[in-house]
Amino acid sequence: MNQDRKGRIEWTRSDFSRVPYAVFTDPEIYQQENEKIFRGPVWNYLCHESEVPQIGDFVSTWVGETRVVVTHARDGSFHAFENSCAHRGAQIVTAVRGNAQRFSCPYHLWTYNLSGELTGVPMAAGVKGKGGMPPCFEKKDHGLARMRVERYGGLIFGTFSDEAPPLQQFLGPHSLSQIDRLLVQRPPKVLGYLRQRIPGNWKLYNENVRDPYHGSLLHQFQVSFGLQQPTMKGGIKLDAERKNTWNHSILSAEDKDNQAIVAQAYEGTGKYNPNMRMADPALTQVPLDLGDGYKTTILSIFPSLVVAQVDNTYAIRHLRPKGPDLVELHLTYLGFESDTPEMTRDKMLTANFIGPAGYISLEDGEALRLVQQGIRHRHPGGSEVLEMGGIGPIEDTDYLSQEISIRGFWSFYQRIMGLPMGGPEASA
Amino acid sequence: MNSPPSDTLVHWLSAHQFFATYADHLDHERFAQWVDLFDPTDCRYEVLSRENRDLGLSLPIMGCFSHGMVQDRVAMLAKGVLTYRRDKLLRQVSNVQVLSGSGASIKARANLVVYQSSEEGVSSLYMVARYECELLEGAQGLKIRHMAVVVDSFGIDTMLAVPL
Repeated sequence: MNQDRKGRIEWTRSDFSRVPYAVFTDPEIYQQENEKIFRGPVWNYLCHESEVPQIGDFVSTWVGETRVVVTHARDGSFHAFENSCAHRGAQIVTAVRGNAQRFSCPYHLWTYNLSGELTGVPMAAGVKGKGGMPPCFEKKDHGLARMRVERYGGLIFGTFSDEAPPLQQFLGPHSLSQIDRLLVQRPPKVLGYLRQRIPGNWKLYNENVRDPYHGSLLHQFQVSFGLQQPTMKGGIKLDAERKNTWNHSILSAEDKDNQAIVAQAYEGTGKYNPNMRMADPALTQVPLDLGDGYKTTILSIFPSLVVAQVDNTYAIRHLRPKGPDLVELHLTYLGFESDTPEMTRDKMLTANFIGPAGYISLEDGEALRLVQQGIRHRHPGGSEVLEMGGIGPIEDTDYLSQEISIRGFWSFYQRIMGLPMGGPEASA
Repeated sequence: MNSPPSDTLVHWLSAHQFFATYADHLDHERFAQWVDLFDPTDCRYEVLSRENRDLGLSLPIMGCFSHGMVQDRVAMLAKGVLTYRRDKLLRQVSNVQVLSGSGASIKARANLVVYQSSEEGVSSLYMVARYECELLEGAQGLKIRHMAVVVDSFGIDTMLAVPL
């Protein structure tokens, strides 16, 4: 049992190779996550600069369960604040994106500038000398709840906490170099958005992107059409706190000669079919336009951001939890300013790999649904088993079939949540 | 419309019959017959989110830009390549309108709702969308030149595996 009689949730192994299932279903844990993680000392992804290029541009987004507006102010700075009026709490901005000079709450027309400061209160001085706000009322005390905002490589981040470390330190060196590789060396442009509402806990998705083990097993399409194979070169790199992971795979010429090894890996599963052919394989033949050999690179940043290159697709994935059992996976699909029309057409072809209808990503939605269903409807207690790739130290690897980076996520999660270590090993 | 009333009526009836057949093939997973509704020489099938369309962004949720890609989309289902939720889907097409009909070409529009029903018989609304299509009359009946399914419920529940 991982929940004792007082209902405490604890880790029974100090290497996090067991994860109590209750963290995916417990409503109290979910509430605490909102406070300790999303409003805690982390940097939350908000949006990409190219989505708010002009003064007055804004985007509505989410930080955990908190609805937030990101703005581009007159002095060129970016701001983020809660989308809830300082007066009576009404949601102020209803559009997902747009351009505005100011924001007025429709209820009593309290008005805020692009930085979220209160600039107007109708009838503050009363009407015909009567009423109005009391003399002690100061507009400066009643702005919208603001986040601290920092940027790196075009990504805009915000935090509600004064305790968050400097952004670049929080991201770590692998994140910085990968953001440079994917989003800085070529200025990106948004080609569209995709939204997938996955009926599973938001942390299941964090596990999924730190789990190259499943990549060539669940995703038969990748294996059948040469996008991913268990024999590929690759590995993972972690930041100092092991909360952020970069995993990557490289398809080399020798993978064509590895069919026998692949067939062996699938022995007994009845799933491997190397003779599968497509009627129109154009989408699998799009050349990798970065030309650095990486076939898939997934950068997963705690708690809710993934910057992913899957074959020739580039996307920012953002997790928006909607309760313990549901998460919206929001994708910003990118092309680059330097892309030729042909390259943009190619990215429309390869879009079929990812998103809610993606030959690869649609399966993650189903897998996570099944995990949540399985966890929901079993005897309480119990835990995940994370031993693939080895137990013990949480370290970088030069192989792909591993769950070590998932354990890295949990080690940071346990600390930031202040959940107790327990079990025979921890007390020994 | 300039065409005689009888032509308009024939086009409308043809479009009605076409959508009924189209939805029935998909509902019953007669995928090969669904593919046969597309013009083999030149066709396009796209599922688009209303969000992207309103922003003038052309990214599809699902996009097949050739007859081969249309075939592949359903072959991946029929051959068991993809793992997806196997709910029973039922499509309800309504408000069929013919926007223009000239010669062999018909431009038509219709509303679509799709219900999903689980293995244990629990049904829910899966999708709210609109068909916008260009059909071509040929020797083999109406064929799809272009089918756009514009989705209002673009916060897709779990996944979109089976075409709409």
